[in-house]
Amino acid sequence: MARLSGLQKEVIALYRECIRSAYKKPKENRNHWVNYVHSEFAKYRKLPKKEFATVEHLLRVGHRRFEMYSSDTIRDVH
Amino acid sequence: MLRSSLVRFARVGATRAPLKAPLTVSAKVPLSFPLKVPILYSYHRMYSSAPALTREIITERILELLEDYDNIKLPEKISVNANFKKDLGLDSLDQVEIIMEIENEFSIIIPDDKADEINTVKDAIDLIEAQPDAV
Amino acid sequence: MYKSQLVSILSKPSFQNCFKRGLATSHPVPTQPKLKTFKIYRWNPDTPDVKPKMQEYQIDLNKCGPMVLDAILKIKNEQDATLTFRRSCREGICGSCAMNIGGRNTLACLCKIDQDTTKETKLYPLPHMFVVRDLVPDLTHFYQQYKSIQPYLQRDSVPEDGKENLQSIEDRKKLDGLYECILCACCSTSCPSYWWNQQQYLGPAVLMQAYRWLIDSRDQASAVRKEMLQNSMSLYRCHTIMNCSRTCPKGLNPGRAIAEIKKQLAFE
Repeated sequence: MARLSGLQKEVIALYRECIRSAYKKPKENRNHWVNYVHSEFAKYRKLPKKEFATVEHLLRVGHRRFEMYSSDTIRDVH
Repeated sequence: MLRSSLVRFARVGATRAPLKAPLTVSAKVPLSFPLKVPILYSYHRMYSSAPALTREIITERILELLEDYDNIKLPEKISVNANFKKDLGLDSLDQVEIIMEIENEFSIIIPDDKADEINTVKDAIDLIEAQPDAV
Repeated sequence: MYKSQLVSILSKPSFQNCFKRGLATSHPVPTQPKLKTFKIYRWNPDTPDVKPKMQEYQIDLNKCGPMVLDAILKIKNEQDATLTFRRSCREGICGSCAMNIGGRNTLACLCKIDQDTTKETKLYPLPHMFVVRDLVPDLTHFYQQYKSIQPYLQRDSVPEDGKENLQSIEDRKKLDGLYECILCACCSTSCPSYWWNQQQYLGPAVLMQAYRWLIDSRDQASAVRKEMLQNSMSLYRCHTIMNCSRTCPKGLNPGRAIAEIKKQLAFE
C-alpha cells in the first residue's frame, strides 16, 4: 500500500473516532450513526488528495461536528 | 457477525457463571459454527483461566468476520494472505471499519499507529496473536 | 417702503445662496458618477473545493455613505446579497465588522473610504484566522483564550457595606486605556507572533485584558493571574513588534500593557 500522507492519516484517525463513537450510541440507533458517518465521508471521497486547504477545512469542520455529536445527550441522527 | 457476537456474549456469560455455562452456550450457538473449540473453552473456563487463543482460532474468526462484511466486492478472494486494498478492493476507510470490527470481536483496542500498519489479513492475525488481552 | 425692504432682503447674498441650494436639491444637476472599485475576498463553505477568489464591485461614491461599511452594505443591498460580513452597531463600539481593509486591520464602520477612485480598495477577512465565509473569521479560539484569563472580578471578601467594592479615583484611572477594548481582534490578528503561535500565545488583545485585571485594585487574584502567564509561550512570545498598537481602531496601546505585565513579572 502506498504510504499515507500525514493529512490522510488525520482523516483516517477522524473516521476511526467517528465510527468508534457511533458504537457508543444506543444500540437501536447505531446503524443511523454509522450510515451518517458513511454518507458524510462519502461526500468528498473523490476530492484529490492534493487539495490541502480543502481537506484541512473539512477536517476542521469534521472535528467540530464530531465533538458536538459525540455528546451523550445526542442519541440519534437522521 | 450475529453469530460471533452471540458467541462472545455466551463466553462472557461463561466466565461469570461457569457452572451454567455449557447449557447456555450450546443453546445459543448456531449449529453451523465449528462447535468443538469454543464450547470446550467455555466449559473449561473459570474465573482466572484465559483460554489460549491459537492462531487457527484467530484466523477462523477473522475470516468469518470478513465474510460478513458487505463492502468486499470479491468475497471469493478472502484468504489469509489477502491484501485489503489490492485483493479485496477495499479503500482505507473500509479498512478502518474492518479493523474496528476486529477490535470488537477480540475486545481489544488497537492504537492508531498500529492500525495504520495493518494491510493484509495476515498482519491482523499477527497483531491479535501478539495481544495477550485478546479474547 | 415695504417693497424696498423686500428687495434688499432678496438681494442679500446669504438669501440668494439659500435659494440656489433649495433649487439644487429639488432639481439635481447630473453630476459625473464617482466610481470606486472594491475587491472583496469571497469564499463559500458550501463548496469547499472551489478556491477563494477576489470579486470586484463598483460603487458610485456620490451615492454612498463615507465609511467602508456603508459601501459593503450598499453592495449587499444592491448588487450581491450573498456577500457575507459581520456588522452590528455601525459606530465602532461592537467590534463586529473588524476586517482587513487596504492592508490594515480595522473596523469597517470607522474606516473612511479612500476617495481616490483610480485605486481599488481590497477587503480581506482578518488575516491568519480560519474563515467561516467571505469576510467572517472564526474567532472561537480567540474567545476561548479570553475566557482562559478569567476576565472577571475575583475576591475572597465581600465589601463591608454589602453593596459595592469601592475604588479610589487614582486606582480607577489606571484602568483608562484598557477597559475601552472591544475585543475586535484587530490587534491580535495583526501580530506575527500570534500568526505563528496562535495555539499557545495569548495575543495582544487578551494580554491587555489580563493586565486590566492584574492592576484592578479591587481584584485579589493577581498572584494566580501572574502564575498563569509565567511560562515561555502565553506572554513571552511578544517580541514588541508593536503592530497591535499601530492598528488598534480604538487608539489603545496593547503593546504597552504587555510591557507592563513583563515588568511586573520581572520584579517578582
